[in-house]
Order: sequence, then structure tokens, then C-alpha cells
Amino acid sequence: MPVTRMMEGNEAAAYGAKLARVEVVAAYPITPQTELISSLAEMIARGELKAEYIKVEGEHSALAAVCGASAAGARAFTASSSQGILFMEEIIWMPPGMRLPVVMCIVNRSVAPLGTLRPDHNDSLLQRDTGWIQIYCEDGQEVLDTILQGYKIAEDKRIYLPVAPCYEGYVVSATATPIEIPDQSDVDAFLPPYKHELYSLDPAAPKPRRRGGSIAQGRYDICQAMERAKGVIEEVDKEYSKRFGRYYDGMIEKYRCEDADAIIVTMGSITGTARDIVDEFRENGKKVGLVKLRVFRPFPTEELQEIGKKVRAIGFIDRNTSYGAVAGNGIGCVELGRALYPLKERPVLLNYFVGLGGTDVTMPQLRHITKRVVKAAETGKAEKEVEWVELEKLEE
Amino acid sequence: MSLNQKFDEYYKTKLVRPGNGCCPACGGPIAWRMILEGLDKNTVLYGGAPCASCNMSTINLPQFGLHFSSVGDGAAGIAAAFKVKGREDITVLCSSGDGGVGDISFGKVSACAERNDNIILLCLDNEAYMNTGGQKSGLTPYGAWTTTTPEGKKTKKKMIPMILAQHRIPYLATMSIAYPQDTINKVRKAKGIKGFKYLHLVMPCPTGWRFQESKTVEVSRLMVNSWTWPLYEVENGVLKITMKPKQIPVDDYLKLQGRFRNLAKQEIAEIQSFVDEERNRLVEVEGKNIWI
Repeated sequence: MPVTRMMEGNEAAAYGAKLARVEVVAAYPITPQTELISSLAEMIARGELKAEYIKVEGEHSALAAVCGASAAGARAFTASSSQGILFMEEIIWMPPGMRLPVVMCIVNRSVAPLGTLRPDHNDSLLQRDTGWIQIYCEDGQEVLDTILQGYKIAEDKRIYLPVAPCYEGYVVSATATPIEIPDQSDVDAFLPPYKHELYSLDPAAPKPRRRGGSIAQGRYDICQAMERAKGVIEEVDKEYSKRFGRYYDGMIEKYRCEDADAIIVTMGSITGTARDIVDEFRENGKKVGLVKLRVFRPFPTEELQEIGKKVRAIGFIDRNTSYGAVAGNGIGCVELGRALYPLKERPVLLNYFVGLGGTDVTMPQLRHITKRVVKAAETGKAEKEVEWVELEKLEE
Repeated sequence: MSLNQKFDEYYKTKLVRPGNGCCPACGGPIAWRMILEGLDKNTVLYGGAPCASCNMSTINLPQFGLHFSSVGDGAAGIAAAFKVKGREDITVLCSSGDGGVGDISFGKVSACAERNDNIILLCLDNEAYMNTGGQKSGLTPYGAWTTTTPEGKKTKKKMIPMILAQHRIPYLATMSIAYPQDTINKVRKAKGIKGFKYLHLVMPCPTGWRFQESKTVEVSRLMVNSWTWPLYEVENGVLKITMKPKQIPVDDYLKLQGRFRNLAKQEIAEIQSFVDEERNRLVEVEGKNIWI
């Protein structure tokens, strides 16, 4: 029987890894990821999880050890944040290129020097070109569920790509919420033991990684796997919902989008607040909807095009910066703009920067943003295409 | 039986295949023959250092590798996977070079040693970054010319075996291709010990050291016989010198190599004096526990 307990996001993530029966953990502590790996260390020490925990001396080694373990046939797990993710950058390219289905939680934290220990999405979004599937989680329950889904997606032989469940430090990692812990036997039925069809380092039956073929072919294969992942993510989410009763709408979650003229797009923890704001505007008769961008890689192009066809204005709320990017946009808005480009009639595209360096994203801020997007939908034009919301005088 | 057939029959019994992508007269293939003689088929090879990996494609063992910035850690992951699967019978051999072990992955090697990961870490030391054409590493010896020390290196070779000895690892040894049986014995011994084993073999490089291709083994022998590279092992802290050749002048070793061509007499005398001092200190601690 599943049990429900109050726990922080990091502990929920540890439960996710435990339920997935990870066999090798290699990790290095960094705020705000630390409680995740110390929870895992305790589970292993208590004998609740049969796994080897390699206490490495840095994040670069953490992911390298995870690669070795995965190639040798073990389900492997790690997690990091911010500077730690940047420190392992060289190795981050290895699991996709070597088609190793590892899972690594990125507990988002802003990057120094213009950052704090608190979250924005730059650390994980910087990795968007490396071949990792990235799933942004809103709360602890979604983190736990996404780790289980993550292994199922990664280890699917149509995919063989690593998965990064991303969630914001403190806001998700250190906030206690009721978490339903699925029954181990149900998880075992959902997630069979890991077996890689392309690798075996067992000297009795070695299977060398296929080499040869051009570099372009290798990269194209990863792009194709990313395309296939769109369907697999949906499929896995549906199967998960049948077994465990929670469904995350696959690639994107659409909230009150049916007849909407104006849409705001969020990622991660601010989605909860944004839903309340949408309800508020709906009560006032404004046709506003919300899209939660759950999966950033592969990018949900088709889903967003469907939305784009039906609405007059879309505002992308970016919790990241990309200095010098096209039109002064954030990373998310640039991608959304490209997705919408082929449409015959394109909605007005607006971009909002919030919560940089982990500042709180408030109701008044989201209300301000939504007002602007509604106005753009009504007038058919943007007064201001890009706003740094914290630096603006907010609309009353 | 034709000669080719004889070769085929011979190689069927070996873990190494003929042919390799190394420079002519590289010490690497010679070293690998000895090392693999000390191992068996139940071995996984992890590597990534360029010069050391020139040989990897000729070795009949399952292999995995990342980059030479990841010496040790990937092997630790493999060993952990085997442990959790109850396959600790498999030997995990991590191959690297001097730049990997001594410089870019130094912290990682230290961490593997401290964790006592169940791997053999092999350093094939050609005393510089030879795969990029010969640049100074932390293990380049005093006085040696490299493309980044055109005036000769002003500092001494970093003594990785002694640094790792102070990590309290169960076994480490220095090796040379001039003494094959000593090398094979040490590999066999390492294979039989659980935990972190460190093997350090100096692999002469005719290209980078600038000596005649026919002299690879000779240079190795002179290096050991001049006590520039003494052969010893440290088992549970206790040091044992495994080869005690009659000492020859260090100049006999240096003068064969173009990389030492520009050394002044004074500098050769200096090298001789610190080789002597180090030899004396080594002999002094022989048979004793050096974990201090």
C-alpha cells in the first residue's frame, strides 16, 4: 500500500531513487542538493537500499563514476546543482554520446557570481544542447514520480539517453509537502531491472560499444532518439498514471487553455502560484490560460504550436538569462519563438524575467505579467516585448 | 606451419593482438605484454589517456573509457557495479599516463586511493604530454627538454608512488620494462590483493626523449641501474626494493637522450647528487614501514 508522509523535495527525490532500486550512487555535496544525497546515504547505511555509494571528491568524478557503473550494468544515480553542474560539464556530454541511461537530479541553484544559493534555471538550461532529457518538476511529488519515470524513459531501448529531473532548490528541495510513496512492488512492476542491450563489460560475455559510423550519424541518432522521446515520455506518463493515479500531461500541462486568448508559460515551482493568478483572471472574465512547460528537452514544439494557433498572445516567463540572445529574450522564449514561427497567424510574443538569483516570484509580479499578456491579446500588440519584472514598476 | 600461422596460434593464447598505433619503438606495447601476462581474461580495462590508449584497441579485454581527466573515477564506478552484482572476481584495471595521474586527475587518483576502491591503477609514465608532441608534465624530470620547457625543466619529478604510499593503500609498486619478471610478479601480486593497487611503470618514449629506436629497453635498464628509477614495492606500508643493481653513473643514462643534451656538467653533477641522496634514503627505509 502506498503511504503518505510529509517530506521535503530532496527526501522525496531520495525515495524516488530508492524505489527505482538504484545500484550505484556517486555524488558530491552542494547546497541545495545535499539532503538528497545524505538521505540516500542513510537509506544505504540502514540497509533499506542495496547500493554502492561512491563518495567522490568532486562532481566531475561523480558523473564519471556513474558512467562507469552504468556501462558495467548498474542502474546509476547522481545529483548536483549550479557550480557542481558546471564543474562536471565535460562529463555531462558523455552519457548522451555513449547512450548511457543514467538519471541525475539537477536541484536548481543560480550560478555565481551573479547568483545566490537560491534557484533559477540557468544551471540546467545551460545543458540543453548536451543530449539530456530535461523534465522540470513543480513539487516534491512530481520529483519522486519523475525519477521513476526518468529511468523508464532513459532505459527504453528506443531512447538510451540520460534524464535530468530538474527542481528548484529550497522552494522545492526544502519545502515539506505530503508525498505519496508508492508501493515497492508496484514500482517493480512498472520499472523492471536495468539491462543495457548495447553494452556488457562482463568478461565472460563482453559486448563492446558499437563504434564506427560518422560523427554526424552519431549525433543525428541522438536527435532521432530525442524525437522518439516525445512519444515515450507521453506513453510512460500514461502508464504511470494508470498504475499510480498521477498524470502530468506528458510534455506540457495545459491549465484552462481551452478557450483562452492569452497564455502564460511557466516552468517549475512558480506554476502553482500562476494557476491561482489564472483563476483570478478567469473570475474576472478574462480568457487566460497557463502552460506548464514540463519537458524542455526534447522541446514540446508541436504542443506549443497547437496552443499558438488558437491564441492571440503568449507570455513566456523565463527564470534564467541568456546574455545577448535574440531580441534580448530568455532561453525559453527563444525556443518558443522558433516553435511559433511557421504558424500563418502568430500570437504576440512577450517575455518576462522573474526570480533571478532565487528571489521570490510573487502574486503581484505574476498578476502584472498576466495583465500585460491579456492587454497584448486585446490590442494585438506588445507595449513592451521584454520585461525584467523585478526592475519594473508593477501594474496595480 | 607457416610463420603467420604460428603467430596466429601464439596470439590466440594472449590478451594482446599484434600491431598497434604507437610510435616506432614505443615502450608501451612492450609494457602491455608484460602487464597482461600478469592478468587473465577476467579483467575489464578502463582507460583514456591518449598514449596509453594507443594500445587499447589491440587488447582483448572488455573496455570502457572517458577522458584522461577521469582517471580512476570511471573505474571506481565499474568496480562498484561489479561489487553490487556480486562480481568482485573481475579485475578492474585503470590505465593512465603521467599527465592523467600526476596532473589533471591527481585529485581523483588521490580520492580513489583514500576510498580504497577495488581497482588496479596503472600509470604508464613517459614523463611528458607525448601525445600532443611532448609538453612538460608534473612527472617530467629535472633538466629535461620538452616543447614547453625549452630551457630544460627547473623543478623535480613529482614522486607519485610515495605520495600514494602515504594514502595507506594496500599495495603499490614501481616497474620497468627492463625487468620483465619483476613487472609480471608485481602485476600478479596486485591482482591478488583487494582494494586500491597502484602500479607505476616508466615507459620510455623514443620520440619525446630523443633516443635511437633500438635503445628502448636499454634506456629503461640504464634508468633503473643508475637508480634514477629504483624498483620497489610498498605492501601494507612496508617498503621492499625488488631490484638492487650495481649503481652506474647517471650520465650513462642521460647521455643517450636528446632531451638532456643541453645539460651542463654542473647540472649532471646535481642530478647525480640527488639520485645518490634519494637512493641512500630509500635503502635506509628498506624493510621498514614508511606510513609516517
